[in-house]
Amino acid sequence: MEEDKPLIPGVTVRAATPERLVHLCVESFGKDGRLVEDNEFPSVLFLMHKWFMTSDEMAEAYVDLYQSCSDTVACMKPGCNHRPSSIDCQIQIYKAKICYAVRFWISNFPVHFDLDHRLSTVVKRFANLVQCEGNLTLKQLIDLSKVPSYDWMRNMSVRNPSMRHNRKVSLVFNHLEPMELAEHLTYLEYKAFRRINFTDFKNYAVTASLKDNPKLERSIALFNGLSQWIQCMVLSKTTPQQRADVIVKFVNVAKKLRILQNFNTLMSVVGGLTHSALARLAKTNACIPSETQKTLMEFTELLSSNNNFSNYRKVFNQCCHFKIPILGVHLKDLILLHTALPDKVEGSLVNFRKMAQLSQTLKELTKLQNHDNIPVCANMDLVNTLRLSLDLHYTEDEIYELSLAREPRNSLSSPSTPTKPVVFADWLAGVSPPVPNTINKHVHDMVEAVFKNYDHDKDGFISHEEFESIAGNFPFIDSFCVLDADKDGMISKAEMKTYFIRANCHALRKCFKHDFHEITYFKPTFCIHCTGLLWGLIKQGWKCKDCGINAHKHCKDLVVMECRSKQHAACNRRQDSVTNGTPTQELTYSSKRKMSQRQKRNRVHQGTQTEEIYFMDYQMRNSHMNGDGEYYEEQGQLYDRLLKAEEARDKLMAENARLEAKLEASNDQIVTLKSHVGMIRKNTITFILEQMDALHIQRDTEV
Amino acid sequence: MREYKVVVLGSGGVGKSALTVKFVSGTFMEKYDPTIEDFYRKEIEVDSAPSVLEILDTAGTEQFASMRDLYIKNGQGFVIVYSITSLQTFQDIKSMKEQIMRVKGIENIPMILVGNKADLEHQREVPSKEGATLAQIWGCPFLETSAKNTQNVNEVFIEIVREMNTSPVKESNGCCCIV
Repeated sequence: MEEDKPLIPGVTVRAATPERLVHLCVESFGKDGRLVEDNEFPSVLFLMHKWFMTSDEMAEAYVDLYQSCSDTVACMKPGCNHRPSSIDCQIQIYKAKICYAVRFWISNFPVHFDLDHRLSTVVKRFANLVQCEGNLTLKQLIDLSKVPSYDWMRNMSVRNPSMRHNRKVSLVFNHLEPMELAEHLTYLEYKAFRRINFTDFKNYAVTASLKDNPKLERSIALFNGLSQWIQCMVLSKTTPQQRADVIVKFVNVAKKLRILQNFNTLMSVVGGLTHSALARLAKTNACIPSETQKTLMEFTELLSSNNNFSNYRKVFNQCCHFKIPILGVHLKDLILLHTALPDKVEGSLVNFRKMAQLSQTLKELTKLQNHDNIPVCANMDLVNTLRLSLDLHYTEDEIYELSLAREPRNSLSSPSTPTKPVVFADWLAGVSPPVPNTINKHVHDMVEAVFKNYDHDKDGFISHEEFESIAGNFPFIDSFCVLDADKDGMISKAEMKTYFIRANCHALRKCFKHDFHEITYFKPTFCIHCTGLLWGLIKQGWKCKDCGINAHKHCKDLVVMECRSKQHAACNRRQDSVTNGTPTQELTYSSKRKMSQRQKRNRVHQGTQTEEIYFMDYQMRNSHMNGDGEYYEEQGQLYDRLLKAEEARDKLMAENARLEAKLEASNDQIVTLKSHVGMIRKNTITFILEQMDALHIQRDTEV
Repeated sequence: MREYKVVVLGSGGVGKSALTVKFVSGTFMEKYDPTIEDFYRKEIEVDSAPSVLEILDTAGTEQFASMRDLYIKNGQGFVIVYSITSLQTFQDIKSMKEQIMRVKGIENIPMILVGNKADLEHQREVPSKEGATLAQIWGCPFLETSAKNTQNVNEVFIEIVREMNTSPVKESNGCCCIV
């Protein structure tokens, strides 16, 4: 079946068998190995073949064609012996064309050959076959030895290459230039994006799910992580002006991203800046200069979904050289095409028109794989710092809560939107936060980077001030004294790593919500938010039942501080179970820790499976001692006792974990209280002195 | 002619694209090109008033949190789709109304609840009654559809246009609404 007006030059076939497609591909090459006119059929076929057949099947089809062509191709030359040496032999010409086609495949899609072992085996066998015929020139064409290595594609995480220029940059958000930030974000984007291969895209288009698609998932996690980081960086500032300043900075980053033609990161930044959690901050928006607002509006317009993203599509198609497409938009196109068109038509013919249409999108998406010239040079220390910042995982709800805390709803203008936060369902369940192992690695890299840049005297410690400036990149982490575990006023590498791993392992989840209750204090107490004294005789303030912080009635809704006891409890429970477990248990626990959020649901199921294995093992052992009833009984009893003992141990462990958590919480409270003592003392003395002064004055006047 | 922007929301794999494709292309289309400007635009007549619908299909972008926010901001009417063969997809959309309200900052939002894949009756996990109950809570129409058999497909979009006609949306620019 043929098209009248082809979509892509040279692609006229609408549907055909795979064998026919391979033959058509061979026919696209001339005697001299050049493509006939501007025929794009071979590119489309080689790009798309994995949609309907494996690469080794396709390579086999070429080998079959080669082996059978002495029967299928007629050579009219009189007296021709069809040897490699004979000139103008139709069979030899056809064989040459086959080799040109395979060479085209190797040189345009080298990644197929490096990553697919079975494919390269077939092609090597093919090369041997050609060589055995004495056809050395043709053998040279299909030589695989020059295929570059695509090792980096096999790895999920982004490895640090040896950088040519390690430029000097600050790691601190406040000192970072928008261009530096944009370039490093582009670097991260590029590294994550180009790992997603053809099969990953295909699987997503077909299944509409991210299951078993870690590379795509990682890229989307980066996209969402950046949006969230931006929202948190803005919301971490206490005054509207400060928040507006952060927004202005990110709009400047967006400008640079546009210059770099990195549309995916641009979408993520603009999406973060215009997210409802920030858009509702009226006071903050009033502080943003009109010029910045205009720029942001222009970007929103550029990336708008109106008219099927027509603004973006136009601009993107006009861009040349290095560019990163908006992943979501093109994934949407793939899914629509896949839904609308069947893979096979008229029985078993490959629907090649569909392949041609899909190829236009996939060509764009896989282009970066072969694009080695990224136009930015990155400082790996900054890359490592940024990467960890983007790992922090929040839910939409947490961020929205934070937004409400910063600028509470205006009771007059608000419609009755739910005041109680709704638990937003697992809408994003497909994207799980990075697994602890990845986080640990990222933490390690980041801390090394920080020490490399800020530990000037190389003594393995950094100071309070240096830490504070780095901490600005990570909104809502604890202050220095929590980090400085041994209270020596300096922070060691180990302290910093422990801290960040802990901060990440529960990702500040639910940590901003406090359980405040009105309370009467019997000694002077200060508000955590405004640091003022809680005045009055009774019911002076509000106390959080969980973490024990105190605040004024009017301050309590403004407190933006984690509820620490919740966090500790969660963390300790986890650690205890690991340290106290028997070796087998340790194994299950550590593997459980590796599980992503999504998999947790299966836990119960896993538990029973292990038990089943235990039991089977036990039964098998018994079946070996046929007839020995006593022994059998004894074993049974022992097993019962073991089970009981294990049960008891589990209970004790749980109890232990609970107590430890309690202890930790109390310890924390002690620390907080201790730190208050000094302040209280000072304030009380001032208070007394003032009172005394007042009394003096009073007495003096009386006198 | 009035123009309506309709956003199709729902988890991955519920058949959002299939509904959209069925609606914009009718029964037959020679060539599909989802990248062209008016691919998602269609003219229909609702209660003898000609209207133009622009469909914002969120398929493929479900996982991109901030893109979803932008879609919702842009939309005027919402088609919320789950699959009757998957209870999970029904759970996923339960908080959808609140989420849209949060982004739009208004209360009366034209929407319709749709249980797709009605042709797979033997795999049904969500009873019709449950869908109807949720629609009642939301105060919106409810339809079960089959994109495969073209059952109720046009009706969904006709219904949503009616919804948009009865509750005229104050066109806030979506940017500075106070929630």
